[in-house]
Amino acid sequence: MPTRHEPAAPYEIPAHPSADDPRVTLEEQLGVFEPIPPYPPRTEREAEFYTLRDGEMFINMGPQHPSTHGVLRVVLKLNGEQVVDLDPVLGYLHRGVEKLCENADFHQAICYMDPLEYVSSLFCEWPAVIAFEKLLDVQVPRRAEYIRVLSTELNRVASHALFMGWMALDLGGLTPILYSFIERDEIVEMLAALTGQRMLFNYFRIGGVNGDLNHEFMSRLGDWMSRATEQIEANLTLLNENEIFVRRMRGLGVLDRETALRMAVSGPNLRASGVPFDVRRAHPYSVFPELEFDIPTRQEGDCLARYLLRMDEIRQSLRIIDQCLHEMPDGPVMARVPRLLRARPGRAFAAVEGPRGLYGVHAISDGTDQPFRMRIHDPSFVNLQLVPLLMPGNLVADTMAIMASLDPIMGGIDK
Amino acid sequence: MALTPGTPPAGGAGGGAELPVPAGGRSELVEPIVVPNTLWRPADPVADDRDRALDEITHLRQLEASGLVRRDDARWGGALEVIPTKADYVLDLIRMNSLWPLLSGLACCAIEMMSAATSRNDMDRWGMFPFRASPRQADVLIVAGTLTTKMAGPLLRLWEQMPEPKWCVAMGDCTCSGGRYKRSYSTIEGIDRIMPVDVYVPGCPPRPEGLIYGMMKLQQIVKDARGHWPEKPVGPTVPDGI
Amino acid sequence: MDRAFRRRLELRFGDLLSGPIRQRHDETEIRIAPADVPEVMRTLHDDPAFRFEFLADLCGIDTGRTMQVAYHLWSETTPDWLRVIADGLSRDEPRVPSVTFLWKGAEWMEREAYDMFGIVFEGNRDLRRIYMPPDYRSFPLRKDFFIADDAARSPGAGVRPMERTHVPANAAPGGVVRHSKVD
Repeated sequence: MPTRHEPAAPYEIPAHPSADDPRVTLEEQLGVFEPIPPYPPRTEREAEFYTLRDGEMFINMGPQHPSTHGVLRVVLKLNGEQVVDLDPVLGYLHRGVEKLCENADFHQAICYMDPLEYVSSLFCEWPAVIAFEKLLDVQVPRRAEYIRVLSTELNRVASHALFMGWMALDLGGLTPILYSFIERDEIVEMLAALTGQRMLFNYFRIGGVNGDLNHEFMSRLGDWMSRATEQIEANLTLLNENEIFVRRMRGLGVLDRETALRMAVSGPNLRASGVPFDVRRAHPYSVFPELEFDIPTRQEGDCLARYLLRMDEIRQSLRIIDQCLHEMPDGPVMARVPRLLRARPGRAFAAVEGPRGLYGVHAISDGTDQPFRMRIHDPSFVNLQLVPLLMPGNLVADTMAIMASLDPIMGGIDK
Repeated sequence: MALTPGTPPAGGAGGGAELPVPAGGRSELVEPIVVPNTLWRPADPVADDRDRALDEITHLRQLEASGLVRRDDARWGGALEVIPTKADYVLDLIRMNSLWPLLSGLACCAIEMMSAATSRNDMDRWGMFPFRASPRQADVLIVAGTLTTKMAGPLLRLWEQMPEPKWCVAMGDCTCSGGRYKRSYSTIEGIDRIMPVDVYVPGCPPRPEGLIYGMMKLQQIVKDARGHWPEKPVGPTVPDGI
Repeated sequence: MDRAFRRRLELRFGDLLSGPIRQRHDETEIRIAPADVPEVMRTLHDDPAFRFEFLADLCGIDTGRTMQVAYHLWSETTPDWLRVIADGLSRDEPRVPSVTFLWKGAEWMEREAYDMFGIVFEGNRDLRRIYMPPDYRSFPLRKDFFIADDAARSPGAGVRPMERTHVPANAAPGGVVRHSKVD
């Protein structure tokens, strides 16, 4: 047994802890979990939602459910099998990341960003790192930028492969998730060779990345790239040529252009509705001005369009990875930054294009070595607002298809 | 009281409550930390006698040694418990090799749990493929991901809905001890504050192989129900006191 | 840094700005009073010279002295991010008009700002707590809400202070609201 370094002091739980104490006593909460809250409605929307008309009922799709992408509770108002309205309840994974970042150094704050969108961790670290680099006026070497783009595009492929699996899983197909986890495992082992970790990579640093490309990473990457295209196409044919899959998703959850802009969504959900907005081209960062890639856009805005768009993005990501490998410059992978980072008072906002949309970090510095405020903008949070908009009118079984096509990750939604 | 970093808190260091000494007198093991367990009461009527000592015991070994809880309530037991029979052995083998986990993936560790269940690291080899959605059909609750105060109620309700025999695996740093969210205002520092845990799988997130190792340890516990502190393998025919 | 954009903003909103327009790297920042938020946002959204149709972020900020709400907008007319800061909300009763009439997607972002700071957005049809349980009484991201490492009076204090190796050992405990240098 490893020895303990901490003193073995018993925790003092006070006799009457406040309801806001994190060490909660659970006697009050273990009642019957009713979908209807036990207090009168406090807002217009709540009053509108929690009044039942004739023939309607509430069903609680609770925080533990095989089809939610994490702990999301959705209160459905049903008329028979058809969803009339729904109310997502968040907060079951709220970990207080923004508050913890305020009490941490710049480097520690980057570490807190990983578990937000845990399937695409590098995209979570990136805007934080860019924002801190803006605050500290640090210039990142070109090789580090190329490595960043390379690793994040690999992460994007892994994330979209997982999306494909979950999309099929929520429609009832149990096989594609196995294929997508094979894809993801290969990529993630590659990234583990590069960063040391399979999932929450903690690879980006202020001023560069943590380590250079190594032999194992390059050999795994070369091996994978040589068969990536065929492998991905084979996985996709499993679904694209499946009539049930296509017919279920076509015309489902149509999101039109104006609504998408009004809902402030970004990423594939926006591009599938006809708006060619991609942060890599709209507000270029890193070395994307030098890379050649297209922005796939589709006009229909239904679930099938969102799915096919993400598959197009995988192909574009492979193109970017190829270019990065060919044009990788030499040089250091980390700028020379002082050990103790003190930023000038000021603000910085940085945004990158993640697999789900625009990840943004708004960092405010007050001159000390801790960020004064670290605001994390997560795309899944905004995308989830589409759910009460798109789901009404569909059957219960289709609600999961719509939710899966929006690709939410609860870690980012709840922060 | 000025708190300087690195000094232990004044007063209260070293543990106040008396620890029940285990029967073997294992003094070379590190003294466990006793967390006053006011938060969990088992639903078992035999154990649910609101005894003061029971409130302070949180580790399986002390619980067994204290004699307050009927041991091996999953076995047919009774007079036959002195000599485990072939029936016991077979029953344990059956249970051990078809532990059905409950889908209780909360956060990032859920992805690694799914990865452990899919093709590359296949948990189906040990019978754990069907991740049941309903707690009524599940044996093991693998809590994978950070537990927040809002989720604590539903999770405890899931645990209580699971029928006996049931085991709990704390996967990931957040469920073992709070992890990187230890000082947050809305997380619970480890699920052993609210439910009894059999296997802790540390890591952030643990590799799928790590989870599989944890599940194999759980199989060992299921097989002999003797506690998991000793590292050497013990079978059902090993007498008490080991 | 788009100088022409800055001039356009000064021309259009000159009297509504409550501070100089700041530009740093690729961001432009303007400050307005909370009451002017609907007018300014509508102009930025509808005016063909600006066309800020994309809301990138909406957040609340507690500077220790005041509260602020920051909006980040993007338009194809300028290569900069535009940051609009509604400054000067009181810390006791922060109220600001909502922008949900322009962007329905701001609803949850405003709910989050309410949940974390207590900023009331007038006009938001659904202003209730989004992360914390509905009967929670505090606003966690305010600077007077201390997590266990910060203050000596919180029940978790003293258990194990988070290590701050660069802070001298005789520094004051974090019971002071930091409001230096952030405006």
